[in-house]
Amino acid sequence: MTSTTVAADRVVDLPRHEVFALFGTTGSAGWLFGARCDRVAEGATVSMRLPVGDGPDAESLELLGRFSRVVPGTLLVVEHTQPWQGRLCIRFRADGVARTRVTVRATIPDPGVQWLLHRVGIPLPDPPDDGSIRIGAITTMSGPGAIYSVSAQAMAELAVDEVNSDGGVAGTRLTLLTADDATDAAQAAFEARRMVALGCRAVFVNSTSASFEAVRDAVESSGVLLVHSVINEGGGDSATTLRLGERPRAQLEALVGPTMRASGGARRWYLVGQDYVWSRGAHRDARRVIDAAGGDVAGERLTPLGTTDFGTIIESVQASGADLVLSSLVGADEVAFERAAERAGLRDTTRTVSLVLDDATFSHIGGRAAEGLRTALGYFQGGPVGGNAELVARYHAAHGAWAPPITALSETVYEAIHQYARVLHLDPHGSAADHVTAWRTRRGAGRGDVVGNRDLLAPPLYTAEATRSSLLVDGAS
Amino acid sequence: MEANENLAFDALSDRVRRRILAELGREGELTVTEIANRIDSVGRTTVSSHLRVLRTSGVVIERRDGRNRYYSLDRDGTVRDAFVYLQSIMDRAVDGIAAPDVTGQDEQDDRREHEAG
Repeated sequence: MTSTTVAADRVVDLPRHEVFALFGTTGSAGWLFGARCDRVAEGATVSMRLPVGDGPDAESLELLGRFSRVVPGTLLVVEHTQPWQGRLCIRFRADGVARTRVTVRATIPDPGVQWLLHRVGIPLPDPPDDGSIRIGAITTMSGPGAIYSVSAQAMAELAVDEVNSDGGVAGTRLTLLTADDATDAAQAAFEARRMVALGCRAVFVNSTSASFEAVRDAVESSGVLLVHSVINEGGGDSATTLRLGERPRAQLEALVGPTMRASGGARRWYLVGQDYVWSRGAHRDARRVIDAAGGDVAGERLTPLGTTDFGTIIESVQASGADLVLSSLVGADEVAFERAAERAGLRDTTRTVSLVLDDATFSHIGGRAAEGLRTALGYFQGGPVGGNAELVARYHAAHGAWAPPITALSETVYEAIHQYARVLHLDPHGSAADHVTAWRTRRGAGRGDVVGNRDLLAPPLYTAEATRSSLLVDGAS
Repeated sequence: MEANENLAFDALSDRVRRRILAELGREGELTVTEIANRIDSVGRTTVSSHLRVLRTSGVVIERRDGRNRYYSLDRDGTVRDAFVYLQSIMDRAVDGIAAPDVTGQDEQDDRREHEAG
């Protein structure tokens, strides 16, 4: 694979170690992409903002990655997966007395350049017409959803590679087509139409419920199998669609009562979520579960996906007298909310339960701000699911030591592709409706909670609490 | 770096423009009316004004045939602009750290290269 390198450098009137120490610190926003990280150390998570356009409506793209090499005062290397996969190298060299030359070098493999061109409207290249069976995966490389999607594409690729190395599906290779929905439902629908036009047998939507609904409206009549392969509020099933992953009702039942009991009589909840179908469904369930547990709801706010300033919402939580917070915020919104809540001292008066606190979202919130948050999901990278250690080892062998964490969301698409391949293998000429029926029937086989055989339609949940360094699994339901 | 060198990637900042480009990418060549028909809730006038921006920035080419005007993507121009855009990202990143008096003199140090990886 070829790659492109773009570089620039400048001289700064500061000694080398002082310039280096500025990286990622608060108060130097805008300095080197406004990098945000809790610590500058190998393996630590980092995000940076890439400028896009000028003016009041200008967006920025978030680059999400990890430090793969840190030489204090000299060198920083960041491996990133979003918005495209690549490497950023920042070198610090002395340039005379108390002056430093800073060189920034970006290495962008071809898929990254393709992503950029696609983003301005150039179509992705068509896959070769090689007689393989095509499936599509719509993930999120940009926008507020990118954070929970960091490993989704890599995990979908891993599943397809494993299916092919096991001999493919009924003797035929699988080919994976991927696309970025940019956390935008209309873009998701556009990409799904392209996948259907290219003959995909199944489309896996590893994105928001808004994107899934738009995809369903756009291509459901085409006879393609549609799979929503991440946590969702449920509903809207049909003969050719399957919605997999955790449901808020089960998550809340695992979290609400125990958290109230552990908080010594706390019972007033404040619900914070996104202003679309996911949080509306989750909060409806939350009111029922809270009521059944003897709690009440002191307040609720729904905010549009892409919110960055949570000041007013946090003040409202504080004014409500709530001692418990339920967050159904997702991605960058959840990161911004939890960081702001911790800064505002909300942890001193409330305990927070978060529904989409996967390993990647946790790492971007950072241990300091996330400590004490509770969640319940079907998968954690450090969790006890059978076969997990082997899965993590295969993932890193394929995608490198610094690949982003496997999450509840990316593990679901990995496993969904494997399970679909088995269904298709047994009935290669069946319709999407036949495959949905077969998949639903298979799930009752009761093979236990093992990678590859989990019941994705109603996954067993693990509860976990955030520590400074990780999400620590402390129970199962 | 001239400000207008980055124009193509300003298309990123607008969803309607991205949709227009996506439709042109899929269909090849379209008239304003055909584009407007393919994008919900956007009228002809809005499409025309976005096309003007896209044409000025060199992402879209206009072809006249009698009374009709057809629009298509300028792929070569966009590939070139992708690299200009990437270069501008790097420049902006380091501009933010440089003392004002050394910003200009280091312009010639910027590089772009291709390598096999």
